Amino acid sequence: MKTGNHHEHTEDEDVQSALQKAFPPVNSELRRDLWPSTLRRLEDEAPAERVPWYDWALAGCVVLAFLFFPKFLVLFGYHL
Amino acid sequence: MDLQERFAKGNLDAFETLFRQHQGRVFAWIMRIVRDAGHAEDLTVETFWRIYKSRARFRADGDFAGWAYRIATNLALTHVRRRPRDEELPLQEPQVLLPDPALQREERERIRRAFQGLPANIQVAVTLALIEERPYQEIADTLGIAPGTVKSRVFRGVRLLRKHLNRMRVHT
Repeated sequence: MKTGNHHEHTEDEDVQSALQKAFPPVNSELRRDLWPSTLRRLEDEAPAERVPWYDWALAGCVVLAFLFFPKFLVLFGYHL
Repeated sequence: MDLQERFAKGNLDAFETLFRQHQGRVFAWIMRIVRDAGHAEDLTVETFWRIYKSRARFRADGDFAGWAYRIATNLALTHVRRRPRDEELPLQEPQVLLPDPALQREERERIRRAFQGLPANIQVAVTLALIEERPYQEIADTLGIAPGTVKSRVFRGVRLLRKHLNRMRVHT
């Protein structure tokens, strides 16, 4: 693919020709769809599942219950 | 709401549409620089991952392709910089056979070695300007530098290569 640079570096043509021989054109056609890999990469980086607010509320209630009624702890231990 | 606006707001379907519109050209551009399909595929995925991650900074009326090419070029440049000098690039035989194939192959190998000894930013400028014959303006845009800087990198590259090749007794 010839472009606008060509006339600007005629004195470099020997080096250019040597480089083009050493690096022949590569096939730049995409061989497969890269969307699945990109999607996987995005999912890998997804933040960890967030704990919903009602789970935090429930945990808070349990802690409060243990603070106000320590005997629950014994009952809780018995059931474990 | 148009496609780029939906993408900027994090819509994955809009991102997929943009991805499908541009993946081939971004891959081809990276391929021109790194000249290895496996690495070019990885860098294309990395480019789009970075694009999605920084979508909040993208202006909905901006040039998506230009932005993608800049990210791709920077990643390819980093790849060239980190590539070990003795890493073999896939050597493709030219279509036309020259008089003494063994001698020609050896000479090509010397040129490749001399080229890989250049600083990465010069390698990229020389690859795009002299091997791929892309316009200076296009190279400057994707590297985020002035066209004059591209010209001076190409000039330095040619001078260094000529010196290396003379030392290796390769006649250009």
